[in-house]
Amino acid sequence: MRDVNFAMTQTQKVRLKRALQCLRDCSVASSPVIVADTIPVNLEDNILKGHGTAELEGEVVATLCGAVERVNKLVLVRPFRARYKPEIGDIVVGRVIEVAPKRWRLDINFIQDAILMLSSMNLPDGIQRRRTAVDELNMRSIFEENDVICAEVRGSQNDGSLHLQARSQKYGKLEKGQLLSVSPYLVKRRKQHFHYLEQYGVDLILGCNGYIWVGAHSDGGGKNEDFEDLSAKLEDKMEVEVSPLAPHKEEASSVPLGTRENVCRLANAIRILSLLGFNISMELILDTVVASVTWNTTVRDMLGGEFYTRIAEREAERRSSKRATQV
Amino acid sequence: MMGLSLGEKNYIKGGIADDLRCDGRRRLDYRSIAIDTGVIPQANGSARVRMGSTDVIASVKAELGKPSSYRHDCGKVSIFVDCSPTAAPMFEGRGGDELSTELSVALERCLLGGKSGSGAGIDLSSLKIVEGKMCWDLYIDGLVISSDGNLLDALGIAIKAALSNTGIPKVEAMPGTSAEEEPEIDISDDEFTRLDSSKVPIIVTLTKVGRHYVVDATIEEESQMSSAVSMSVNRQGDVCGLTKRGGAGLDPSIIIDMVSVAKHLSQQLIATVDSEIYAAEARESSA
Repeated sequence: MRDVNFAMTQTQKVRLKRALQCLRDCSVASSPVIVADTIPVNLEDNILKGHGTAELEGEVVATLCGAVERVNKLVLVRPFRARYKPEIGDIVVGRVIEVAPKRWRLDINFIQDAILMLSSMNLPDGIQRRRTAVDELNMRSIFEENDVICAEVRGSQNDGSLHLQARSQKYGKLEKGQLLSVSPYLVKRRKQHFHYLEQYGVDLILGCNGYIWVGAHSDGGGKNEDFEDLSAKLEDKMEVEVSPLAPHKEEASSVPLGTRENVCRLANAIRILSLLGFNISMELILDTVVASVTWNTTVRDMLGGEFYTRIAEREAERRSSKRATQV
Repeated sequence: MMGLSLGEKNYIKGGIADDLRCDGRRRLDYRSIAIDTGVIPQANGSARVRMGSTDVIASVKAELGKPSSYRHDCGKVSIFVDCSPTAAPMFEGRGGDELSTELSVALERCLLGGKSGSGAGIDLSSLKIVEGKMCWDLYIDGLVISSDGNLLDALGIAIKAALSNTGIPKVEAMPGTSAEEEPEIDISDDEFTRLDSSKVPIIVTLTKVGRHYVVDATIEEESQMSSAVSMSVNRQGDVCGLTKRGGAGLDPSIIIDMVSVAKHLSQQLIATVDSEIYAAEARESSA
């Protein structure tokens, strides 16, 4: 995410500095290191030196800027600004770069483009069958260039390419919303990545690759809609779209204003949290949105110096009180 | 910038129609503007302006030069903008040349007035040293570091801030030189006169998307525009320059409406920019 800059008054800057200092003091779990910092280890144990470490003059030093992690005998440094590292089963949000023979190529903020095979997608008519040449010619009616798609990581193939699959109802094309890009480090793997917030009518998908989708709620992307219904709807429109899966291009089904405001609030909350470097989790996002409503902040003021400072202070207070209760 | 899907494009257009854009702003709201002055110590004046993710720097350098033959009593000003490859990969090498020339020409038109020098935002006669022989040439350079839409407005604000930050060294011309000889001058190292930038106009760009226009468009909104009109307005509310971009045609009544909207917005914007420049200079002098 590129840096956004606010005009902040002197008092706001002072308060922000104090809050950031408090947050730094509270960070106990993983100690941040920079390149060439020595990692404190007990040299008698046979520790394994993982990624981001090196042995220098009998000491273990960091070769990256990041947080030190220890897992049993393994010591490694996880960098803050790394590219996304996919694991099997990750939910990712990607954008179609190219429509190639029998596959789509997607950008998922990884070092290479991921591949979504035609055979890893459910066909529009829902039948499980072999993909024919006609299916291949109709690929664009399913996903086009620049479409935003939600999929799951299937694994890397022998040739090193990354494959995705989108066989379930909940995966597919995403519309009526906005795509945000944050650092992949801030999105941790959880049990749930799809969130439907009923009180706001908003779908929120936290992709593990740092792409976050916030949009108005849609039921399953309309993938397995009844064929008869769709063709009846299509006959009313002037434009004749052959495939039943294509979204109605003339559709003026705009997002209602209340939902749009909620989408904006959530998007701004995510932007603020990523600027502050906090982990993007559902609880924190909802907490920020509720705080903005309680403090009567307008949606556009959420991207302002005052709100930014207050959220930093709020989180600093929360962490220091948590630490105080633990100790 | 990555392309946008059809769903996202419709979402942006719907937001503009509903007066609630993707970041929560209304159609006629500007993003938060952060100004720093004096960022380039070697230049006579400089400023850095950040609006959202758009980041531009403007610097003013004053050099001795000869006035042009048809304007003996005035100095010269030239504006040049460079788009750095850090803003977008396509700006590397010659890729940014087209955009750079477009911005430079638009800025010159908006800030410098006509060929005869009339209507210029800067008082060119204040740059004269010896009539007909020597004057100050101001070279205003703009650098685009990061682009998130609305470059023209940001550059306009940066140039205004840089000009208000500019100090021209005091020059004393030795008297008693004949008409043909080059005059001898003494340039002071310590004393500077501040350039008067109160008449410098600022630029307001209105981007038309669908049936509505928005101010301070982000790069996604600009990709959906049909046309854009940039107007430079000064403190008195007079329109100093007008540029239209984009292939779609505009009805004359719409242009007149846009001019009145821009006039109204510019008063507020000038007030904000002036107070930000003042605060930036205070920070710079205390630092």
